[in-house]
Amino acid sequence: MPYRIEITLKEQLSDAEGESLCLKAKNYFNIDFQDVRTIQIITIDAALTDEQVETVQREIFTNPVTQVSSLAPLPIDFDWIIWVGFRPGVRDNPGATGVEAIEDLLSYTLKPGEAVYTSKRYCLKGNTITRQEAEKIAGELLANDIIQQWKVFAKREWDPETGIGFVIPKVILDHQPEVATLAMDSDETLERLSDERSLALNPMDIPTIRSYFLKPEVQQQRQKVGLSDPTDVELEYISQARSDHCNHNTFGGRFTYRNMEEGTSETIDSLFKTYIEKPTLVLKEKKPWVVSVLWDNAGVGRFDEDHHYVITGETHNSPSNMEAYGGAITGIVGIYRDPMGTGLGSRLIMGSYGYCVGPRDYDGDLQPKLHPRRLLDGVIEGVRDGGNKSGIPTPFGQVLFHPGYLGKCLVFVTALGIMPAEINGQPSDQKTIYPGDLCIMCGGRVGKDGIHGVTASSATFSKNTPAGHVQIGDPYTQKKMHDFLLEARDECLIRFITDNGGGGLSSSIGESALFSNGCDIQLENVPLKYDGLDQWEIWISESQERMTVVIDPQYLDRFMALSRLHEAESTVIGTYTDTGKLNITYNDVTCAHIDLDLLTSAFPQWEFEAVWRPPVMRGFTEPVLGKPENFGGLILDLLGRPNLSSKEWICRQYDHEVQGTSVIKPLIGAARDVPSDAAVIRPVLTSQRGLVFSQALIPMYSAIDAYHMTTCTIDEAVRRAIAVGGDPEYLGGVDNFCWPNIQHDPEKNPDGKHKAAQLVRSCKALKTMCMTYGIPLLSGKDSMYVDGHLPGRYGETHKISALETLQFSVTGTIDDVTRCLTMDAKAPGDMVWVVGLTKNELGGSEYYEHMGQLGLNVPVVDAQSFFVCYGQMAKAIENRLVASCHGIYRGGLGIHMAMIAMGGELGLTVDLSKVPAQDITRDDKLLFSESAGRFIVTVSKENNKEFESLFHGQPAACVGKVTVRPELSIGSVEGTKLCALTVEQMKKAWKGPFGDLI
Amino acid sequence: MRKKPNVLVLTGFGLNCDHETAYAFELAGASSCRAHINALTAGDISLDDFQILAFGGGFSWGDDHGAGVIQALRIKTNLGDQLLEFVAAKKLIIGICNGFQTLVNLGLLPGVDGDYTQRSVALTYNDCGNFRDQWVCTKINSDSPCVFTKNMETIDLPVRHGEGKFYTENQTLRLLMENNQVVLQYALPDGQPAKGAFPHNPNGSLADIAGICDPTGRIFGLMPHPEAYNHVTNHPDWTRNRTFCEKEETDDVKRLGEGIVMFENAVSYFDD
Repeated sequence: MPYRIEITLKEQLSDAEGESLCLKAKNYFNIDFQDVRTIQIITIDAALTDEQVETVQREIFTNPVTQVSSLAPLPIDFDWIIWVGFRPGVRDNPGATGVEAIEDLLSYTLKPGEAVYTSKRYCLKGNTITRQEAEKIAGELLANDIIQQWKVFAKREWDPETGIGFVIPKVILDHQPEVATLAMDSDETLERLSDERSLALNPMDIPTIRSYFLKPEVQQQRQKVGLSDPTDVELEYISQARSDHCNHNTFGGRFTYRNMEEGTSETIDSLFKTYIEKPTLVLKEKKPWVVSVLWDNAGVGRFDEDHHYVITGETHNSPSNMEAYGGAITGIVGIYRDPMGTGLGSRLIMGSYGYCVGPRDYDGDLQPKLHPRRLLDGVIEGVRDGGNKSGIPTPFGQVLFHPGYLGKCLVFVTALGIMPAEINGQPSDQKTIYPGDLCIMCGGRVGKDGIHGVTASSATFSKNTPAGHVQIGDPYTQKKMHDFLLEARDECLIRFITDNGGGGLSSSIGESALFSNGCDIQLENVPLKYDGLDQWEIWISESQERMTVVIDPQYLDRFMALSRLHEAESTVIGTYTDTGKLNITYNDVTCAHIDLDLLTSAFPQWEFEAVWRPPVMRGFTEPVLGKPENFGGLILDLLGRPNLSSKEWICRQYDHEVQGTSVIKPLIGAARDVPSDAAVIRPVLTSQRGLVFSQALIPMYSAIDAYHMTTCTIDEAVRRAIAVGGDPEYLGGVDNFCWPNIQHDPEKNPDGKHKAAQLVRSCKALKTMCMTYGIPLLSGKDSMYVDGHLPGRYGETHKISALETLQFSVTGTIDDVTRCLTMDAKAPGDMVWVVGLTKNELGGSEYYEHMGQLGLNVPVVDAQSFFVCYGQMAKAIENRLVASCHGIYRGGLGIHMAMIAMGGELGLTVDLSKVPAQDITRDDKLLFSESAGRFIVTVSKENNKEFESLFHGQPAACVGKVTVRPELSIGSVEGTKLCALTVEQMKKAWKGPFGDLI
Repeated sequence: MRKKPNVLVLTGFGLNCDHETAYAFELAGASSCRAHINALTAGDISLDDFQILAFGGGFSWGDDHGAGVIQALRIKTNLGDQLLEFVAAKKLIIGICNGFQTLVNLGLLPGVDGDYTQRSVALTYNDCGNFRDQWVCTKINSDSPCVFTKNMETIDLPVRHGEGKFYTENQTLRLLMENNQVVLQYALPDGQPAKGAFPHNPNGSLADIAGICDPTGRIFGLMPHPEAYNHVTNHPDWTRNRTFCEKEETDDVKRLGEGIVMFENAVSYFDD
């Protein structure tokens, strides 16, 4: 018999969760509750005695100081009750830890099938609430039907004895695992079967696949192991390995690029090889600090003589778009496995985030699966729990709103790790596998998670079907595994390690088997969450928190002993060989037997047509805007625009101090509320060395030209790093492309050729910038198909494509962190300098956007001269000539002077006529141009001369002073006073949109 | 030369501040050992070999079912009397954040009347309704017997938690006040009591309580993280104050963070 424990806070304690629900109901839907109390429900489906249940109720689930609990429904007053629980198969983290606690307390091991399930009951008070409103709260605030089930009870529907009853979301598959073979009498048959089974084989690949299986020698070998036609395990493996996600077919494709302005045409064979790999290899030769790039799960750079740092980044867009919390937590926890699986494994030292979503206050006709507001809430919380519970600081991140992300949101996650340069005298960045080595799966178990992505619709749910296609990351299980694997690494037990991400075992084993040239896998040994999975499902499941570890068999006992100590599950599931074959059996029956080199053989290259028509040919012009009069009001309104305004509420939810390494925090200044240009950490506690980290996202410029979007984005990320004390000689980059579909289709994707041209141009710009700034690409990823089809007012659908987006991350070592600095004005009397030229470059700017315009003159990066200037700036900072340094980014000079004043809670008096400018004389253009390559610097009087001489010959000028009176006072080009805004006024405007959020 | 006290810093099950906590003790002159909770409960290591036990920060068991609850249960079930013997041997215990939550769930705190098994105070969900990372100013009770805060008056430290609201019945609160077991209180930047004002009191703690000790002062629990103030550059104002201090004196910036003082106090306790 199952038991149900209901737990709630004592009456005299405020219920913060309930209060936050009241607030959201009011703010999001204008629904008024008088009160909400939350009840935690623990459902124990295990053969325990009444006495045992009372023990666990008392000892585990009830805090005697703050809580009351009962095995019968708690009699809490309500007008409506909403109950929310998980669907079967959804990861229930507190349920799992509940099991651990019960087993420990009672010295009792739960039997197979026994489990603990958690759910919540909300008691809503509010006599005006209708059922419709209660349902809205349930469906649009509390639960997501993809992973959760809910029930709404009115007063008269509630039986105080029965309560919610006993809901047991147990997975029952009742299915005998079986291997299917797929007939391939013709390409058409195979294509049809591929569609039926959602294999997503590319039609172009089918002839290559067929011809392999039709080869007489292949057929002969297959016969020997009892196979004929390809099995589903084999085709799933091929499909995974050939997917764009794993194989990067787009970036490896052949592009025909025509530039309509110049009338030129060229063919590019692989964007990756041409614009990413080549420059990175050249730079690796020039930069001895680059340790390992282009092959492992993440890039490796030298931190100091004894340590390497590791960095990579990726996105988790589609899952987050469907289930924001689950998608985001899976994303951040997933990216943390990449550094863990780099070299022989690194310890995680920081993470960062980037969210691109639709307008938070969107009230148009389109109906995204999740409203941007709800989506953003979920994403923020997912990364919060994933990062904080992993014990990894999150000191940097950015959020961007644009209607283009209504179709699909972007969730960027980046991870950095550190590892000893050597382990037992061997370089830690290198690894290989020998025949006879054991293949071990560590961490979580395998279920139907993430199989074939997010394709299932709600119509297919039954009471016991696992809702596994959307996952919830489990940082707790992963943290245990992380600690275990680092100890195993330090004891030299690990030969090879890689993570299980997209494609699951299929990818991690398929790729690692190339090192020894073969493997034998016994699929029945893979630990499962529940019975009834088919072999192919075990093979490609994307169940999270798993690593594939390879060890020398002589270390098995020690490895397993450590694994047990850490209570991380590890299972030997096979052996590596040198047979050239991927050989998979299930209970001694072969279900896959395939040549590993099939995947490196001649599959056809994807082809794209790219046609570039520059903005002028597309009819773009500069807007005709007269000079504004009310500059004060204009600056305040710009400060209150969502993309510029304060997002403190997000930063504060993220632990950025854990590990004790924080040097430059995400929020800085006198009131610790202004965003820093970049983050700095001191990852080796005994050392004064640091790592700087920054990112930039300016996709708005793509509306004009993705080439300049790219140069500006990279420039901004670099400038951010320089501004806090980064050393331009030691910067490495990570490129994360998120692009809409670029394959032209006259009906479905009529502007595909343009989007393809944007991608080509972006890659060209990437290469130019990296070579000029000397930034090797330590890592990078691409995520294509950022498009969505949203229902409109009349039931029609609209294709919404995201702006072509590049997130660029920069990291680098800093010799001595005490030389770092922040952007806040420090002392009255300091001189204010503007370094870099302000030009008539307002195309795509925040100012134009505010005016409802796009414009034409997108900022152009003069990389060579900028880089000279950055060298000087780094020198000035190293010589401690600079009191504060801040890059000029989105919004322009006006906005960023405001930031400096707000940061220092001091004033600035600035004369616009002195600002170094070119072809620009109007005050509004000087204030809001977004020209790249610029800084605002404050310098003490004592250092002013030296700073001046250092910047002799550079476009730099002293434009004003820091004042005690906390007021930004701007003088016009003509010498009149343009506006004066107090710090208080500016903060009020800047914190206007999100200031109340916590 | 004095013998370094041995410190045991527990790890595993989602704990995560072990490296910096061990480092902070090392800076303070102790000898630190990071060890998995299971190594202790299995008897691979023994509490007898240590003079200081540190329950550090993190998310033990994911903070599910109340922060620190399952860790406390695990320790109590598997270690039982050994821990009470450690206390009886007049050794030191510190619980930081998740460790503090564990100590109150174990009943080691507040330990009123020498009863080290009673759960009579709690650290519950922040009033602000969310996890929060910020630096706080705290005021230290100079009349407290707490070993760790000897001769300290105020200290700035980071808090990072979702369940840090100190709560107890009025009677217990009165007792804690009377016994000077309230060690650390959230304060305004000028050192005056925060009186519940958010964000200075970041979680709605009763009486602004940020840390308490047992009646002997040898067991100390606090929500803020002294180990995360191990270096001068940890403080949020360091880039601002440096400018001023550079104007007077150019170099020789003291690089140790103030948080280390608490660990030094613990180490010096064994000098006597």
